[in-house]
Amino acid sequence: MDLDALIGCLGSSACVVTQTTSGLIIGMLLFLVAVGLTLIFGVLKIVNFSHGAFYMFGAYFALTGYQLTGSFVVALLFGAIGAALIGLIFERVFISRVYGRDVLMQLLVCYAFVLIFDDTVKLIWGAEFKSMGMPEAFQVPPWFIAGGVVPPFYILLISVALAVAALLGIGLARSRLGKVIRAAAHNPDMVSALGINTALIYGSVFALGCALAGLAGALAAPVRSMTPGMGFSVLIESFIVTVIGGMGSILGALIGALLIGLIRSFGSLGFPLFTDGLMYLFMVIVLVARPTGLFGKDVA
Amino acid sequence: MISERGRVPVEEGKMTKTGKPGINRRTTLALMGAGAFTVASPWVARAQAKTIKIGMPTILSGRVAQLGTSSRNAVMLEVEKVNAAGGLAGRQIEMVVRDSKGQPQEAARIARELVNTDGCEIILDGEASSGSFAVHEVARDIGVLCIHTCSEASSLTADPKQHIPNAFRCVRQGIHDSIAGGSYAANIAKAKGLKKWATCSPDYAYGRDTTAEFVTYLKHFAPDVEIISENWPKLFQPDYTETVTKILQAKPQALYSALWGGDLTSYIDQANIYAMFTQMEVFAVNMADYTALTVVKNLPKGIHSGNRYIKTYPATAENAAWGDAYKAKYKEYPTNWSWQNATAVMFLSEAAKKANSTDGKKLAEVLTGLTIKCPFGADGTVTMRGEDRTLVGYAIGWGTTIPNEPYVPEVKSGDWKQIFALEAEWKKSKGYT
Amino acid sequence: MSELNVENRAGAVPYVARPRRAAAIDVVAAVVAFAILAALPFLFDSKALLDFVIRCAAFGLFATSLNLLVGYTGLISFGHGMFFGLGAYGFGLLMQRANVSIPVAMVCTLAITAVAAVVIGAICVRLKEIYFAFVTLAFQMLIHSVILSWQSLTGGDQGLRGGIKRPVFWGIDLTNHVQLYIFSCALLVIGLLLMRQIAQSPFGYTLRMIRDNATRASFIGINVWRAKLTVFVLAALFASAGGMIMSLFVSGAYPEFAYWTISGEGIFINMLGGVTTFLGPMVGTVILLILNDTATRLTEHYGLVLGIVILFFALGLRKGLMDFAVDWYRAWRDKAKEQS
Repeated sequence: MDLDALIGCLGSSACVVTQTTSGLIIGMLLFLVAVGLTLIFGVLKIVNFSHGAFYMFGAYFALTGYQLTGSFVVALLFGAIGAALIGLIFERVFISRVYGRDVLMQLLVCYAFVLIFDDTVKLIWGAEFKSMGMPEAFQVPPWFIAGGVVPPFYILLISVALAVAALLGIGLARSRLGKVIRAAAHNPDMVSALGINTALIYGSVFALGCALAGLAGALAAPVRSMTPGMGFSVLIESFIVTVIGGMGSILGALIGALLIGLIRSFGSLGFPLFTDGLMYLFMVIVLVARPTGLFGKDVA
Repeated sequence: MISERGRVPVEEGKMTKTGKPGINRRTTLALMGAGAFTVASPWVARAQAKTIKIGMPTILSGRVAQLGTSSRNAVMLEVEKVNAAGGLAGRQIEMVVRDSKGQPQEAARIARELVNTDGCEIILDGEASSGSFAVHEVARDIGVLCIHTCSEASSLTADPKQHIPNAFRCVRQGIHDSIAGGSYAANIAKAKGLKKWATCSPDYAYGRDTTAEFVTYLKHFAPDVEIISENWPKLFQPDYTETVTKILQAKPQALYSALWGGDLTSYIDQANIYAMFTQMEVFAVNMADYTALTVVKNLPKGIHSGNRYIKTYPATAENAAWGDAYKAKYKEYPTNWSWQNATAVMFLSEAAKKANSTDGKKLAEVLTGLTIKCPFGADGTVTMRGEDRTLVGYAIGWGTTIPNEPYVPEVKSGDWKQIFALEAEWKKSKGYT
Repeated sequence: MSELNVENRAGAVPYVARPRRAAAIDVVAAVVAFAILAALPFLFDSKALLDFVIRCAAFGLFATSLNLLVGYTGLISFGHGMFFGLGAYGFGLLMQRANVSIPVAMVCTLAITAVAAVVIGAICVRLKEIYFAFVTLAFQMLIHSVILSWQSLTGGDQGLRGGIKRPVFWGIDLTNHVQLYIFSCALLVIGLLLMRQIAQSPFGYTLRMIRDNATRASFIGINVWRAKLTVFVLAALFASAGGMIMSLFVSGAYPEFAYWTISGEGIFINMLGGVTTFLGPMVGTVILLILNDTATRLTEHYGLVLGIVILFFALGLRKGLMDFAVDWYRAWRDKAKEQS
């Protein structure tokens, strides 16, 4: 433990700014993965255990896209769309067969695909780790805000994630599709009885969730090395986020992701050897106090 | 496989047709019997054959799959040579390589299976961390000749509790790297006045021990150095931003890191956008490995690193030829694990010649204290030191990196005399001798 | 929230007082099973076969105990592996540091596990369904990070080093491979027998009732929380015994034993073997281990092979192998009755 360091940091604006942005960066990437997870759970009632694989696909597709064109925008599109396409096929061919089945069976199918996807990536891109490298536009010195250091690339990253959060929030609340999705989450039979194609809704929600995970992977590609199985630690953290925030709640995913990001960034000062432990501890405390998570609906 | 297993319960169902409700127990009893038969058939140990089988549990999947693949590549490269030259004491080598997926219980099981079922007479242990300790226990248990080729944790051979006459380690060690590195870094620290240091290493045995040892020897050679920030990210952590910013807050003049592989490249990419490398001298012991050097796109100039595997160091024709041969065959550069595994095969070949036998006990006797010619030796030879059955005399040095070939243009060699003297003191301080 | 397939679970029948004969049959079956297992080393000269059965004993006890929670009580635990790890570490540490005999170390480890399970269980069993799963997972990860962090005691990621001594007790020498094998088989058979008695006891039927309808159970005066906690602790004890066998087998304990993947494997074994029969998890264990060992021997793409086999079970059979066999047998029997 090193509480002095933590207290010392809280007394300096430079340190607070830097560590807070560092928490935001960790948190926003987690949010992109977690919000897909929570959307899929909210609408399809599936705990998508293979969600980390779509983060992985996003990163690898982005790498390929970047190598082909040299454009980071194309890389992002590759990552998001590629992950969405695989997600769509996965949902239509396999996940759709286990709707309403035993939750363990659903997990099993997802688990099977974690194994299959990891090996597939190994076959296509190789077992050795890869790195995409920072796009030239962002190879610039960091900015200083209130004495804190903030790299421009991370400003982009946070903005994209916030924009996605806003779009999702507004889209679900206002648009017709959003309303249908919320209705389907609430009562799928009724929606289907109204003549709305639930298969279409389910497929698009799943693909959207995967696209978000893929986008996160693509955004992370310039700064995180890629290996088969890279989705795993991200999956565990985003699970913690969704569980803390409440399964099915988009706001919960946002708050949960920010909390985990801040716990990591400030926890690494105060408890450098137990930062991971802190996250799990926090999750236990939240679950004990509010079993459905901070923003989850109570189980009837 | 699937259809075969699928049929079993169907037949069992028929067997219990006269049974009343208690089918569960009976079915399973019958199943156990049937299972034993189908299962036992591939499990009959074979008699000693003309070829000699060498078993190799290693990691071929997951995040460190490259450890296993590059180890296996190097072993196959050397085994081909040995076989072409007549094999081990006249017996052709057949390698059996299996994936433990990095799980210690699987590593232990596979090692036992390789010996007990596949008839392997020697184990090359290509496991890392906990897996290597698990295989070590198997070697202790069944007495098979075992050479560790990947685990760099010092305690694996330094700790006398671990000493067994049939287990050897053909791997570089953190303590050696740290003594060489401490001495190298202290010179630079003195020349440039670097007093405030930070560390950032993975939170597991290798990272912790190597870092503690480096700091000890850095202070030994440059007593006015102080450590102002320690950082311990988890192994395989995807994001290091929090430790990057924490180090920037502390404003050290130099940073030491024992991160390696993909973790190191992630760290560099993430620290780069904070312009960390312009603000301090960086000493990353595991940087000068082709896997890391060729992957990082924006490698900053002037990172100090220990040598892992570099075909230009030692600067001999043999080493360059070996590196080129490996690259020609596998279309990629060898790794640090590669040279270690290759050396293990060279040791076996030489020991078999000396003993004129492939008997594990005789080989172990000859291996203890054996010195062989080797392209990776500091003076053209390496030695399997007798007292702790571990590799010494390999090429060890530090230099600064540049972003393209030859990556580390100048390497300052470590002094093995100094390493031996300080290592002996270190062992005493740890209560190992 | 997806519903569990209630009608498809073990013994959805009301409890009828169990004749003493049924228990006697269980004992006879156990003795016969043990006799067969004990005879194997004399019939086959294969150390690998013995290794295989020892691992089956470790994972079998673990998986069957998990089924007490999953199949009988409807508590899906994602953190059951923590007790497997606790057993391995507790036993290994006692043997390395306390210099006690093997039976004393085992009993002490069970006591430690019981205390840990009471504390963790008291917190966890309040939660329902998927939230119970998550909180157990969180505890598992917490314990795993404690094992990694507490290096002075656990050796961190390197695990317990230096081997576990196995002093002779009661004339049993566990350094001898065959004796270790027979000892493991004995633990397995005794463990299964005890769990079978728990499952068939009035308490076992209380658990089924809680699984099928917890509200109704509490209406008729059952203290649901206490019953869930009791089975949580009991299951932890058997998982811990499995961990002890594993630590004897590898002569050490490693953090991977307390990682969530062990829990995942337990769940997976249950799904392979089936959760509606008592011996389903045992069958699942044998299948998974054979599958694992064969796939590792034959291919480097273990994940692809295992993944496809899982899909076959999940989408093809749609249930565990034992469930499939039982259904098939029932259908076959009904057909036979119709014909006669």
